[in-house]
Amino acid sequence: MTSKLKSAASQLRAVWMLLLVGIVLSVASPVFLTPTNLLNVGLATSVAALLAAGQTYVIILAEIDLSVGAALGFSSVITAMTLRDHGLLPALAAGLAVGAVIGLVNGLLVTKTRMPSFIATLATMSVLAGLTLQITAGNPIAVTDYDFQGIGQARFAGIPVPVWIMLVVFGLFGFVLARTRFGRFVYATGDNAEAARLSGIRTHRIKILAFVISGVLAATAGFIITARLSTAQPTAGSGLELAAIAAVIIGGTSLAGGRGSLLGTLVGALVLGVIDNGMNLLDVSPFLQNVVKGLVILLAVFLDRNIDSLRALVTRRDGAGAPPAPTPVASELAQR
Amino acid sequence: MHLQLVDVHKSFGDNSVLRGVSFEVSPGEVVALVGENGAGKSTLTRVISGAHQPDAGRLLIDGVPAAFKDPQSAMARGIEVIYQEFQQNLFPHLTVAENMYVLDRERRFGNLFVSKQRMAEAAGTALRRLGMEIDVHRPVGDLGVAERQMVEIAKAMTHDLSLLILDEPTAALDERESEQLFAQVRGLRAAGVSVIYISHRLDEVFQLADRIVVLRDGRVTLDAPRGELDPDRVVTAMVGDTVDDFYPKERNATNQVVLEVRGARHADFHDVDLRVHAGEVLGIGGVVGCGRSSLLRALFGLRPLAGGSVSVAGTPVRVRDVRDAIDSRIAYLSPDRQAEGLCMSLSVEANVSLASLRDYSPAGNVVRRAKERAATGQVISDLRVRTASPAAAVGSLSGGNQQKALFAKWVMTRPRVLLMDEPTRGVDVGAKTEIYRIINKLTADGVAVVLVSSDLPELVAMSDRVVVMREGRLVAELAGDRLDEQSILKHALVGAV
Repeated sequence: MTSKLKSAASQLRAVWMLLLVGIVLSVASPVFLTPTNLLNVGLATSVAALLAAGQTYVIILAEIDLSVGAALGFSSVITAMTLRDHGLLPALAAGLAVGAVIGLVNGLLVTKTRMPSFIATLATMSVLAGLTLQITAGNPIAVTDYDFQGIGQARFAGIPVPVWIMLVVFGLFGFVLARTRFGRFVYATGDNAEAARLSGIRTHRIKILAFVISGVLAATAGFIITARLSTAQPTAGSGLELAAIAAVIIGGTSLAGGRGSLLGTLVGALVLGVIDNGMNLLDVSPFLQNVVKGLVILLAVFLDRNIDSLRALVTRRDGAGAPPAPTPVASELAQR
Repeated sequence: MHLQLVDVHKSFGDNSVLRGVSFEVSPGEVVALVGENGAGKSTLTRVISGAHQPDAGRLLIDGVPAAFKDPQSAMARGIEVIYQEFQQNLFPHLTVAENMYVLDRERRFGNLFVSKQRMAEAAGTALRRLGMEIDVHRPVGDLGVAERQMVEIAKAMTHDLSLLILDEPTAALDERESEQLFAQVRGLRAAGVSVIYISHRLDEVFQLADRIVVLRDGRVTLDAPRGELDPDRVVTAMVGDTVDDFYPKERNATNQVVLEVRGARHADFHDVDLRVHAGEVLGIGGVVGCGRSSLLRALFGLRPLAGGSVSVAGTPVRVRDVRDAIDSRIAYLSPDRQAEGLCMSLSVEANVSLASLRDYSPAGNVVRRAKERAATGQVISDLRVRTASPAAAVGSLSGGNQQKALFAKWVMTRPRVLLMDEPTRGVDVGAKTEIYRIINKLTADGVAVVLVSSDLPELVAMSDRVVVMREGRLVAELAGDRLDEQSILKHALVGAV
């Protein structure tokens, strides 16, 4: 099977999942399919989706960024403080710069010290979460700037600004991943970093840039969350890294690297958003909501893995007990 | 062990791989099993070793029908298989001694706790008996491919062995190590052990085998004592029709110097001077570890030179990393296409354009897909890379076609110098010939080729000139009448034995 087909098939599973959940909810709740509610889903999804967009780059590179939630919290607080003291544009610039620096540090740790990204970003997550609480003394910072609040609360052409931001980010970064040299190098480096290096790709640079993108998008998500609440909460991002990773995985991106797409991630984020929304509409206990989300992640990964391991089973055992007609690829492999 | 296979059939789905294979192996006999990739050798190996069960036909051991339900039951009868390099049955984090005895049911070295010391002693004794000097305390992952293979053989020999199957055992060995291996195979034969020896290398087969069995498309097309055969007949039986020119060497060398290396130094080599001309193939002979592979990697910028100068077409170049090398129009074909050559889950097209993508993404980094598709399509068809589609994952291609795709990647960079290390490793006879034709095509275009190969007949036939390295230094240059396998070996080994 071609690589394109393979990732298309993984995305397709996410699309089916989204449709299935959508149909069930449309039947179960009369409110679900109303435009207002659907825009709510988009609005609620936007923050996790932005984190997931950056995370997609990192995961295709066979790395992981656990620090995005904490980066969101830290950059939000810096943004709000700068906004209070210096105004809108400096605040936006400061927020994005903080995100970029966090990404740069993560990227340097992973490439130059050869630390596993799981460990490096776990550490930066802890450092950032602690720093955020330290500089705010644990207190939220109020945001009164009207223009800034617009980032989270205004509408443009009837659609909330966060949804626009999400669409623009996915359009832009989806294009970069699919159509540019940098995007191609991300896939190549994630699939086989040595082969990529021997093809003249500066793989460290690619990885650092991916972590920077992840940090900058975390800061952007921080703008939205701060503007919507009119407050920078020091703990605003906690746990969001896991939601982001879940969206990426449901969207069919392989944790082993080399495969995945931003479109898949958007669908994955929407699956989680729709489930959240639906359970609220149906008055499901918030405790149970987490249970359901966990099960959805298991299901998505199970489907993904199951296809692969079934194929592997056919390859290894050939015939005995396995499905009667293996695919051409499987039998070819079996011969070797 | 006297093993007989009678009319063995095996298919996977619609694909029948073995279509009635019959042959036998007598006690103390070395039978070479040869055939192109996909001829059914590996499947046959697995049937004998219990990993697969035949659909029809019988296995007889000493005249008695045997049916192995799994590899363990075959092992219990003394049948051991050593698979080719990429599928070794070793645990990289365990030491040599632990690897040798980890699955041993009889020898436990202590009742409750394993005595590592006693295990190490036993392993050391076993290795020394086979003439191997390997530190038994080292983790297997730290060993070279050749040493790992030696450990596998030693491990197999710790059991009661009656039939040993070796699948492409010399693919990663140099001449000296191969000789060691052959000596061991001969020792086993003398001890009455039967050996099935699978190899692409006909010279080895003719050195070692008592009998040669050729498989093609799941059938035996030739089965005769070695003495009655010559390589031409074997190749004919493998490929089906007469291959009149196995090495289709074309002489394209000119006088124009393209690559000039002076006084190159590095941890693994010293004072290397080389001159390679446009259209010339310069072979480098020597044993593994003589510095020739390191030299290629250094020239490609993977481990920069400690001293010396390099120029390409008269222009001095400084190669500090791969990017510099590619910009200087130097290309390098890694000997390990799995680990360093290809991105297996990416498409053939994406792999082929990977090193030259700059040429197809001029403005704003956006890749011009149409241009890329046209250029890669051209090279894919020029080099006869057989793929269902340019969008197919490169990992789905056969080994030979993967290797051609790797060539295609470097042809796309329009190199002036192409450094190649073991360009036909693990590739079947048909694909080898096609790769030689690719080399001809490159030299006809004036590319200067540096060829490192452990396959001596290939090195002699495909090179215009061969330099020999020993312990990091150039010790000889051979061309014309003086270029033959014996001279290369002599220079490579003298002083090193």
